[in-house]
Amino acid sequence: MSRRLPVAFAAAATALVVLTGCAGTAPSDAGAPSSSAPSTTPGTTAAAAPSTAAGRVLEVRVSGGQVTGDTGRVPVALGEEVTLTVTSDVADEVHVHGYAREAALAPGTPATVRFPADIPGVFEVELHETGTVLLSLQVG
Amino acid sequence: MTVLAHGVGSRTDLPLPLGLALYGAGAAILVSFTVLLLFWRRPKLGDATSGHPLPPPVQRAADSSVLRRCLQAAALGVAVLVLAVALAGPGDPDGNLAPWVLYVTFWVGLVPASLLLGPVWRVVNPLRLLARGLRVLTGPPRGAGRLPELGLWPAAVSLLVFVWLELVYPDRSTPGTVAVFLLGYAVVHLAAAAWFGEEWFARGDGFEVYSTVLARLSAVGRRDDGAVVVRSPLTNAVAAPDAAGLAAVVVVLLGSTGFDGLSRTVWWQTGPGAADDTLSGTLGLAACTAVVAVLYSLGTRLSGRLGRLPLRPQPRLYAASVVPIAVGYTVAHYFSLLALDGQTTWILASDPFGTGADLFGTAANVVDLRAVGTDLIAWVQVGAVVLGHVVGVLLAHEKALRVAPRAPASDQLPLVAVMVLFTVAGLGLLFGF
Repeated sequence: MSRRLPVAFAAAATALVVLTGCAGTAPSDAGAPSSSAPSTTPGTTAAAAPSTAAGRVLEVRVSGGQVTGDTGRVPVALGEEVTLTVTSDVADEVHVHGYAREAALAPGTPATVRFPADIPGVFEVELHETGTVLLSLQVG
Repeated sequence: MTVLAHGVGSRTDLPLPLGLALYGAGAAILVSFTVLLLFWRRPKLGDATSGHPLPPPVQRAADSSVLRRCLQAAALGVAVLVLAVALAGPGDPDGNLAPWVLYVTFWVGLVPASLLLGPVWRVVNPLRLLARGLRVLTGPPRGAGRLPELGLWPAAVSLLVFVWLELVYPDRSTPGTVAVFLLGYAVVHLAAAAWFGEEWFARGDGFEVYSTVLARLSAVGRRDDGAVVVRSPLTNAVAAPDAAGLAAVVVVLLGSTGFDGLSRTVWWQTGPGAADDTLSGTLGLAACTAVVAVLYSLGTRLSGRLGRLPLRPQPRLYAASVVPIAVGYTVAHYFSLLALDGQTTWILASDPFGTGADLFGTAANVVDLRAVGTDLIAWVQVGAVVLGHVVGVLLAHEKALRVAPRAPASDQLPLVAVMVLFTVAGLGLLFGF
């Protein structure tokens, strides 16, 4: 329990930082997915965010085909808010399987996907173009 | 492009809770020795003459070649449609019906269908219809006399090719790959059937043999007089003949499912399989299949040696008793895939060519990944593995009493030990080590 406290603080702090960042990038994100309803997602994210102070903040960097940061199997509690920021040195698209979340990646610019981890199971997060698996979210 | 750990799918199961895995392993070991020490000491299950015949109308339907041709024509129609979608439908695997039909609805769905209804794919196999039609062109089968000596080995090879595609080949989920596989499969097996005759499908068509092997554990069987009967799945399993190569088929099924489990573990993904390429996958699949083959061969032959029996036929004699263990593994690994990601097939069926059609009113549906809870999945997994083990040990016990009626139960220990090993390893893979 005591080990989790600083993490929670850090998470809350980063969530706040990311929240502002997320609001800024939302319109560009909304343009990326072609099939799933684009207009509702940014709105609900912005409205739901302030009520959940804590959440899980994950960061992944892709450089020269190497993945660093929160890679491998990442356990997340069911219902926890997940904020995943991906920075890649090449243009690509990040895809969270099962949750059907996608975000376009511009070289060097961090892209953020934010969602409640409300579906139990193990889900791969991968880059669409290269097929590189960034991490596996283990929810539950 | 989507590349996933196995065929297609958006999720994999959570690791089994440790307690559940341990209870399962404990139960498997306890039951094994209870069967050896306390169960029947004389063959108890029925033989090929047993079973209650089904009512005459059902009997006639089951034997009706007209009905079979109709079902095969229907299956052919579906297969051609799936092929057309694979060739001309959406390029994204997530939006194309074909990979979902092949890897989930057909390959995984064949398991419950065959367990409930018997050897369904033997009845509806569309390649049989095509082979019959092509017979006019190809003339009489010249190699028909050679077929029996091949046993089920061609099917073992056919299945190995498919599981390699499903579990290893990096582009497995692209519609183009599925199209090439479907066409290649049809061409190879039609050519073989032209040479060996229609009986080829019962020995060389991996899907048909898989369905037939699974059907051994159904309640539907054929009596030696040809009547379709209902009887205990245990009787059905021991009454079916022990074809040469059945052990190889079972080893491929067990080894490939084991590799599928292994490839989902953190140990594999960060260790030997970290490269996630064709080489590491091929070696992993080969290693898993080889380990299963060696262990199985060792267990059956050691049991034979204790009983001073001829060693050569031992693996073949006991192959049927490993079928339930393989089925238990399969159910444990793919139950959630069929129940959850399997919904995709029915959604995409409404708009197969991505034209915005909504044929069945399901196009706007979304896959409900919460349709089956994680607790239920875990219980089904442990239940399937342990039940498969129990049935396997029972069948091996019965078989041993038939082969050597006076032998002490301790002769069966090596095989039972190998079965326990398979089951504990299977639970370990589900737990994720």
